[in-house]
Amino acid sequence: MMKNGKVMKTLLKRDLLYALYSWGYYGAIFASFLASSFLLKNFLDAIREEDILVSAFPLNYPLYITLIVISLYLVIMSAISISREREQGTLEVLFYGPVTPASFLWSRYLKDLTLGILALAFTALYFYVASVLTNLGFTIGLAKALIMGIFLISCVVSFGLFISSLTGRMRSSIITLMAILGAFLAIQFVYNMLLGIEKESLSPSLLYLRQTTSYLFRGINWISPFAYLSRGLDSVILENRTLYVTHVLYCVIYSLVFVFLSIYTMGKRGVKA
Amino acid sequence: MIQTIGLTKEFNGFKAVDNLDLRVEKGDIYGFLGPNGAGKSTTIMMLLGLIPPTKGEIYLLGEPFHPRNVAVKRRIGVVAENQYFYKEMTAQEYLIFFAELYQVPNSQKRIDSLLEAVGLSNDRNKKLGAYSKGMQQKLAFARALLHDPELLILDEPVANLDPTSIKQIRDLIEEENRLGRTVFVSSHLLSEVERLCKKVAIINRGKLLAEDTMENIKRKLTDTILLEIELNREISEVGKELTQFPFVKNWHAEGHRIEVELETDRDHRGEISRFFYEKGFLILAMKTKEMSLEEAFITITQQNVSLLTRGEDTHEKK
Repeated sequence: MMKNGKVMKTLLKRDLLYALYSWGYYGAIFASFLASSFLLKNFLDAIREEDILVSAFPLNYPLYITLIVISLYLVIMSAISISREREQGTLEVLFYGPVTPASFLWSRYLKDLTLGILALAFTALYFYVASVLTNLGFTIGLAKALIMGIFLISCVVSFGLFISSLTGRMRSSIITLMAILGAFLAIQFVYNMLLGIEKESLSPSLLYLRQTTSYLFRGINWISPFAYLSRGLDSVILENRTLYVTHVLYCVIYSLVFVFLSIYTMGKRGVKA
Repeated sequence: MIQTIGLTKEFNGFKAVDNLDLRVEKGDIYGFLGPNGAGKSTTIMMLLGLIPPTKGEIYLLGEPFHPRNVAVKRRIGVVAENQYFYKEMTAQEYLIFFAELYQVPNSQKRIDSLLEAVGLSNDRNKKLGAYSKGMQQKLAFARALLHDPELLILDEPVANLDPTSIKQIRDLIEEENRLGRTVFVSSHLLSEVERLCKKVAIINRGKLLAEDTMENIKRKLTDTILLEIELNREISEVGKELTQFPFVKNWHAEGHRIEVELETDRDHRGEISRFFYEKGFLILAMKTKEMSLEEAFITITQQNVSLLTRGEDTHEKK
């Protein structure tokens, strides 16, 4: 067990250093700040024009956008992390020795989670500076949302790792990830569209479709890591402590389930591309 | 060190490895031979736990093997046919990474000596992306030996190397074997296997056809031995008199040289020497011309001849 821990530590150290030396990570953080800055500017323009902004959490929406961008980067990185090593053959070499699916997967999960936490630390700094410059206030709600962000990133990373454990090549990992996320969005879009139409004016087939998408939508709410992102931030806005803690617990359970699923799948799928 | 009992691997009903029984003893340099598609790589993949067998048992280092038995894996060094590296790393960084994974004590000293042994000391700070195939192969050797394994599993270890590097690696394998390491080597280069290995197994179409010492395999394949003799003068009609010996199957003379085909029931060289001496000849040179491993390999694999007797067919579990 202790030796397994040392193996994980070695893998984690190498992977983390490699990620921190890559431009992509900083590029994603910069892109997220750019998107937030754009939103903040819009807020400030609105305040200037209307002389008033009614919002208890003026910085939460920009934070949501930041989290989405960082999460997208991390979900892609984790989705290719196993398949890239499979494709390059380096996974095989690791498995000649003391590396097991569990030590490999946990080290990857911790690496991506650490990158996420580090990105959130940069985000906190960015929002602190933004709150000072704009006078919009660095609220407790924003701090809570940032903490919730850690758990949301955990969901995103474990989901990405699961996709990677299923696929043999980087390209198929990205295609699978995009297809799944696209399907989630499409179902959500169709469901919302049909929900907007009155029940009486729907034909029996559309009614059936609405019922089906409703079931699917409920399923997606449990499977999609981005659904956890929205719900988690909602719990902050609602200022409901029980709901907040419940969401944190859901995120922990979700992450554990997907990491263990990934370990199982990787063991079955093997090391070859 | 390695034992497989009834090891079988099926891919969609096709038996890539069929009921394979191998036994590699401690201290062996064991050659694992077979033509392309014979099932060598599949067997090695199963030995390394990278693919699960359909049925059969694997014992490594005396223990039943399971892919998650990390303790056993730590005692094995592997050089695969294809080398995969983190191209952004230098050789030094790469070996440090693996030394940390295997928790090698005094790792820097070990790395230095291994890089020296494989002739990569001067290239230790070069990125692996810039390494030639030969250099990669040598580095894979250094990685495989880093944690001082008891068993080395080598798949085509000299496939991409030039003659100088082949000799370097061969010397290294022999040296490691002298130090007590057991070596399991799969190779197409039969001349290399012949030089290195004490014992060989030949498989074809997933089945084990022969497993024995080199001498025994050759002996089983042929019932005659060819004796080449060089004499001090022309042989002329004397050769005919050789047929008086019942163990002489055939002979062929040309000038001062004669080739005599003898039965392998026992060593007849003394009788042949005495015969020429009594006829007033001086023997300048005498050597037995043995079947090469290549000839044995071709005979066994092309004719799919099994040299396993019923008793040898199934090993008792150790």
